[in-house]
Amino acid sequence: MDDVLITGMGVISHLGNGVDAFWQGLSAARSSPSKAADPFARMDLPLMYEVPEADVPAGPERYGDLVLGRGSRLAVEAARQAVADASLAYVAPDRVAVVIGTGMGDSGLHEEWRSGDGPPGDHWSPTFSIASAVGAWFGAEGTNSSVSNACAASGFGLSMAADLIRTGEADVVIAGGAEAYSRVALGCFNRLGAIDPERCRPFDLHRKGTLFGEGAGMMILESASHARARRAPQVYAKLSGIGWSCDAFHTTAPEPTGGQISRAMREALAEAGAGSDRVGCVIPHGTGTQLNDTVESQVLGEVLDGRRDQAPVYSLKALLGHTGGAAAALAAVAAAQILHRGTVPPNIAPDEQDPACKIHLPTEAAPLDGEFVLVNAYAFGGNNVSLVLEEATV
Amino acid sequence: MSTSSPAPSTGDDLVISGIGVVTPWADTPVAAAAATGRPAEPGDWFDHRERLGRRGYKYLPTATQYFLAAAKHALADAGETRPGSDPEDEQRRGAVVGTNSAAVALHESMDHTVMAEGANALSPATAPYFSINLFGSRLATEHSFRAFNLTLTSPRVAGLEALETGARSIAAGRASWLLAGATEEALPAGHPGAAASERGAVALVMEPVAKVRERGTAGYGRCRVRSLFLPPEVAATPEGPDRVRERIAAVLAGQGIGPGQEHRVIAVLDDSPVSAAVAVAVGPRADLVTAGAGALEPLLQVAGALAGLSGPVVVVTAAREGNLAVALLTPLDDVV
Repeated sequence: MDDVLITGMGVISHLGNGVDAFWQGLSAARSSPSKAADPFARMDLPLMYEVPEADVPAGPERYGDLVLGRGSRLAVEAARQAVADASLAYVAPDRVAVVIGTGMGDSGLHEEWRSGDGPPGDHWSPTFSIASAVGAWFGAEGTNSSVSNACAASGFGLSMAADLIRTGEADVVIAGGAEAYSRVALGCFNRLGAIDPERCRPFDLHRKGTLFGEGAGMMILESASHARARRAPQVYAKLSGIGWSCDAFHTTAPEPTGGQISRAMREALAEAGAGSDRVGCVIPHGTGTQLNDTVESQVLGEVLDGRRDQAPVYSLKALLGHTGGAAAALAAVAAAQILHRGTVPPNIAPDEQDPACKIHLPTEAAPLDGEFVLVNAYAFGGNNVSLVLEEATV
Repeated sequence: MSTSSPAPSTGDDLVISGIGVVTPWADTPVAAAAATGRPAEPGDWFDHRERLGRRGYKYLPTATQYFLAAAKHALADAGETRPGSDPEDEQRRGAVVGTNSAAVALHESMDHTVMAEGANALSPATAPYFSINLFGSRLATEHSFRAFNLTLTSPRVAGLEALETGARSIAAGRASWLLAGATEEALPAGHPGAAASERGAVALVMEPVAKVRERGTAGYGRCRVRSLFLPPEVAATPEGPDRVRERIAAVLAGQGIGPGQEHRVIAVLDDSPVSAAVAVAVGPRADLVTAGAGALEPLLQVAGALAGLSGPVVVVTAAREGNLAVALLTPLDDVV
């Protein structure tokens, strides 16, 4: 079975456009939400970590009959960066697949049509066509999948992409996640009382929910043999462990003992051959919702108890907001950058860390101590995925 | 660099052991797949109290109710009994649902509420269903499927992809039993594509043939799916049909069906350039079925064909956006 390598990356988020802007944003550890730029957002807390308007790609507008919304445009931009970064030249089209995780697809486009002049055509326009847009842009003729497991969507998507390489069905997969503003999603989270009125502050004693963010994170996943054969200019990391599970417990709440998230973490670490003492960093799901942060903290303490000191936890959502279906992909981009640069960036300091969340949240940048980074992503419905990324070379 | 598609690794011992279908016109697979007898406006056709039980289902979106009802049929059809709770067994059971339009009407209604009255006027019972993965998640909760519970949303092919991805996940060792299917609800009136709305659900149980034979149940056959993509601009060129023909032939060859080997073809297509290329590629021998605004029809055709399977059947579908999928159905006699 071939190894799955990450040979290119692209990202667009609240921190700006491009991997360099992303890393600079992580290093600066400053960000704040603002009011969503939607005059029809009638809700108490219309707050978002939006992609700065100047960074939102104006196009492409369409591929044939397929009209691209903001989510698709973010995805195509991040995919363009990733392909360029990997220096991908010709690959047989049927050997290139696309897998995109997204919770809302191009719902924002349909919302614009609803509050504006209506759709441009009279044929069916499926909401979840971001992967199709990326496939059309690149000319990728392999599997083209849209996976929509809410806030864990791109974690499952990256796993599915890895499966395509491991089974020999693809040499290259353009994989990641994309999420853009949706009035419906934000309105529903307001109704559920799940929006923090100040900022996204995971593991903070005073957290009151989460805040959504926009973004797209894309990776070129490539079989090791293909990367070697074409002399890929760099390898950022290896995707070496995958763990899936399902709480089968509740529509929105996590199962309070964390039994299934523990299983996903342990299976991912075992598949990667990662002893808990060699995990140099954890990028948690950590959303700022009460029970999620507490349960995940407790389970991390149990799963990583082999380390002599606590593994640093890097709380990405405190900077980006909760990017929904793109969250795991953006976390994987951050993880690959951490492994590649050998540095764990500083966390935004919580006002007061929740004593029930006994995790190590360093607020100064530190050298990475360990060959593995663990990424967690969880979703409504109790859908859990853990990924382990590992240091790698071509 | 290789240029041809190798055979998919989907677990050669996996077979379909149970089928459940719920549509406004029929609940048996063959009748549900037939083109005749489908009412344009089905009216009030689904009563969740009769189909699922009197308590606990009222506030679930209709597409969730349809899928639960289809799953109930499929599980009963598979003939398996699960006495009591078995945590190990639960962690080996996965579910995958494909859908495109299950949430569209609900989202539209929610959006109108937010714009007209504000988010506080939304129903708290349905607010979580802004997230499309919840349409399939009640199934996992009700039946304790703890291996995984995926939701796929690729245009038109998501239902077939549910089988493909589920089988691949079994081959990867994440489960040993699967419930896969599709569920859809009608688009709101006036919505583009509303005339082609789909309503209903299909659920299929997939498991190793040895398990089916152990129980002494019959099973239906093997269903192997491979999804592809054809950029619409490529489809629209004169070479488009040849490209599709090449790709379908490669998929079938990878699954042991060579040129000239007799098989029936069912093509579920729309009026797009991509579907036009597929129609030319599969030729006049294919049974053409009009695609709907969702991922249900291809799986209805799979269910119908499996229920009366006597030889190889290929179900092909395509979407305007470029997504394609090919399902090869083969009788149980061919499964070793």
